[in-house]
Amino acid sequence: MLMMSRRQGETILIGDEIEIVIAHIGRSRVKVGIRAPRQTTVIAQEVKLVGEENRAAAQAPSETVLKALLAQLQPAAHTLRPQSDE
Amino acid sequence: MPVLQTTNFGNIFFAPESVFEFPRGLPGFEERRRFVPVQNPQTAPILFLQSLEEPSLCFVTLPVLVVDPQYRLQMMEPDLEILGWPADRQPRIGEDVLCLAVLSFQKSGTTANLLAPVVVGLNNHKAVQAVAPESDYSHQHALFPQEATVCS
Repeated sequence: MLMMSRRQGETILIGDEIEIVIAHIGRSRVKVGIRAPRQTTVIAQEVKLVGEENRAAAQAPSETVLKALLAQLQPAAHTLRPQSDE
Repeated sequence: MPVLQTTNFGNIFFAPESVFEFPRGLPGFEERRRFVPVQNPQTAPILFLQSLEEPSLCFVTLPVLVVDPQYRLQMMEPDLEILGWPADRQPRIGEDVLCLAVLSFQKSGTTANLLAPVVVGLNNHKAVQAVAPESDYSHQHALFPQEATVCS
């Protein structure tokens, strides 16, 4: 992996069409500006993970799997019900 | 009351005001904006999110506090904005928002996505799947770790 040191406000170019600006450096986070062609998808890696997970989750479970889950859940849900202060 | 045809539940009636609106859809399903919550006593505490736009699309979810009673919601500013919530404080689960973990059924067991809970504003039913990149939560949190099968 290519590593580069950049200061706040400095830019990195990738090819002719992609520009990455280090917009702000905070204590634990960096704000990055990205200029890229419209057809280039730019997303945080976590969002891609969640998209894949959602596609897997969209497959409905069989009745057997659902029943097994409920059997495990119902006693658990009972004991885990959040305590009310009233 | 409008009727909706679904693959999993047959025809269901729903109140238009109960619909959850996801202005940006969900990751992987960006074009699916409206879901109706389906709940019944036999499958409580599970809450199904049935798509209004795709009869076969239905997510199985659990209230996040059922999965982890200590769960801490950490929403990013753009997600708070979708709910119409101020950026300076986090909404409270149960009081301000409904917070649901999407379940995934794998051969290896059932997992809950705690990295990106579905958050629904209780006052306006605006909804977002809020990815929490700074949290330590997993997108595949094992619901029932297999400790029961360990032999002594």
